[in-house]
Amino acid sequence: MTLKVAIVGCGKIADGHVEEIQKMPDLAYVVGVCDLEPLMAEQLAMRYRIGAFASDLDQLLDEQRPDVVHITTPPGSHAAIAKRALDAGCHVFVEKPLTPTLAATKDLLEYAARSGRKLTIGYTYLFDPPAQDLRKLLAQGALGDVVHVESFYGYNLRGPYGSAILADPEHWVVKLPGQLLHNNLDHLLNKLLEFFEDDAPSVVARGLVRRSERFGDARDSMFDELRLVVTGKETTAYGTFSSFARPAGHFLRVYGTKNTAHVDFVSRTVTLEGASSSLPSAIGRLVPAFEMAARFARSGLTNALRFARSDFHFFSGLNYLFRRFYESIRDGTPPPISQRDIVRVATLLDSIFLQLGEAKEVAR
Amino acid sequence: MILVTGATGFLGSRIVDRLLHRGETNLRVLVRSSSSRQRLDEVVGGHPGAKVEVFVGSLGSKERAAEALDGCNVVVHAAAALSGAPADICLNTVVTTRNLLEAMVAQESKPTLVHISSFGVYGVACLPRATVVNERTQLETNPERRDTYSQAKLRQELLVWEYHGRHGLPVVILRPGVVYGPNGSAFSTRVGLNLFGLFLHLGGDNLLPITYVDNCAEAIALAAQSSDAVGEVYNVVDNDLVTAAEYLALYKREVKPLKSVRVPYVGMLALSALVERYHTFSKGQLPAIFTPYKTAVAWKGNRFDNGKLRRLGWAPIVGTQDGLARTFAYLRQKAS
Repeated sequence: MTLKVAIVGCGKIADGHVEEIQKMPDLAYVVGVCDLEPLMAEQLAMRYRIGAFASDLDQLLDEQRPDVVHITTPPGSHAAIAKRALDAGCHVFVEKPLTPTLAATKDLLEYAARSGRKLTIGYTYLFDPPAQDLRKLLAQGALGDVVHVESFYGYNLRGPYGSAILADPEHWVVKLPGQLLHNNLDHLLNKLLEFFEDDAPSVVARGLVRRSERFGDARDSMFDELRLVVTGKETTAYGTFSSFARPAGHFLRVYGTKNTAHVDFVSRTVTLEGASSSLPSAIGRLVPAFEMAARFARSGLTNALRFARSDFHFFSGLNYLFRRFYESIRDGTPPPISQRDIVRVATLLDSIFLQLGEAKEVAR
Repeated sequence: MILVTGATGFLGSRIVDRLLHRGETNLRVLVRSSSSRQRLDEVVGGHPGAKVEVFVGSLGSKERAAEALDGCNVVVHAAAALSGAPADICLNTVVTTRNLLEAMVAQESKPTLVHISSFGVYGVACLPRATVVNERTQLETNPERRDTYSQAKLRQELLVWEYHGRHGLPVVILRPGVVYGPNGSAFSTRVGLNLFGLFLHLGGDNLLPITYVDNCAEAIALAAQSSDAVGEVYNVVDNDLVTAAEYLALYKREVKPLKSVRVPYVGMLALSALVERYHTFSKGQLPAIFTPYKTAVAWKGNRFDNGKLRRLGWAPIVGTQDGLARTFAYLRQKAS
């Protein structure tokens, strides 16, 4: 069975969704797209040669009868759209953050559970090749028990997303409870979860605004730097979101009792850091650099082979995630991301934005 | 009063200059809060006594467009996104134009729209080499095969025609070629592309359809003031053109040396066919930045007729030799 997919919300990320779905004709195809702004729906349909576009969701659901609806609208509208799609009997894929608050997230997840349809979320980096490679290392026991994790997410305010936000005082990101951070932190936090058993690890958050005042509106108070300390029963983690550190890195470091892994989501490399031999004196300081060079070379070679097999796409994680989601629908198995993990991320987000909100009050 | 959108831009700021030169005394410029006003301020500073009202706002909605429009009888619409993600280009070019058009037709006395389109709207890929493109040449019928800028400019112009037809909105459309000058970019893709430090010279002996920014602005200001222009379309391109090869040689001599390799048109066709084939084979692992269709549009070598604009009374105010000298002086200074 090939699933019929509809896309609701025709902004930038919708391109990535359509492109990846169009790479798996064995599993799914895009049957129509929808946006409140008909010109936006039209442009997406035109560029990807999609048969139908609409500005009315009910019309799209009635006419195209999709099996799956991908929701790529601003987060404030996710819950209402997802519920309409679930009511129409569709499975839903929702971009992150699922909703703007923990309460709304729990409500939507319960609604989805009652509908008997599947829901998943765009935690794309959990399915990126480096995350998959890390999981293999963990399964082999190469790291031992995990003691501590660092998750770093760099952001470029001058990139296409950042500049669009700064150019528009009415931009939906500016209006989210956690503004810029809110639209990105899911990516930083969801990678930590597999190292924590806790339902709600404690988090201490410190936000900073590094930009100077420029607009005289809500954009000026948007946090652009964030430091987190997350503490669970067995593990701890640091989280860093930075708009100014260069390069705008994106990595995870996993400190285990046997070894430490550096997982780079930009260069898609996974490298273990421990020296394999214990040579004495100055030689012991000389060899590790060559060992690391060899490990990076191996990682690069693996990537080159992936590239040669046409398995090195920009949105690789999204592709794997879609595939897993569609297979779960086809086979009647659980979706690729558990509801518990979605709630755990939303719990951390709520706590972080509560702390940052209080910090802002004090500053005033 | 004349409203100018995109007035802080490379072309828009010069349009303000030419309107003031041509005797307009009552201008309003629409400026987004995030835009740098340096170029505009320089222009206004050069016309002491001129009344230029700066309206900080956007075309983000019909209501906001209506605020900017209040009291204007002519709108020169030069605002458009030149780069960015495809959705943003559409949002900042097509949706904004629709908002402006909605606000204009809601006015009791409909203002005239002087719309800045582009040569990018023509459907030239299938025309024989060296065909002369005039205002009656058909528009692109395969926009999905074009770059996102051309897609947006085409959709934008079609919207303008739609509102003209449906609501009787008076419109003048100007379709400029490659607008060049100080503050502009060094190379149009019609000359070639910089590929990791090596310049692929793709335009060869094609005549570059260039227009010096002041000449283009003069054409727009003239059209804004001319009642004969209403309902008409004008190509905007200068009279004395240079070839891509001549431009590149002059650039190397006047600005700085550049490693370049000349790729003949057939060679580029073959290369772009390979790129397109690999794009399909790899399921889009690399983008189809070159395709034979895009190559035909950019480098096959069409010519563009400006006879209609000249008959309206336009003449270049800066010759190409002078225009290039000024542009290269700017680029030289920038490079140093």
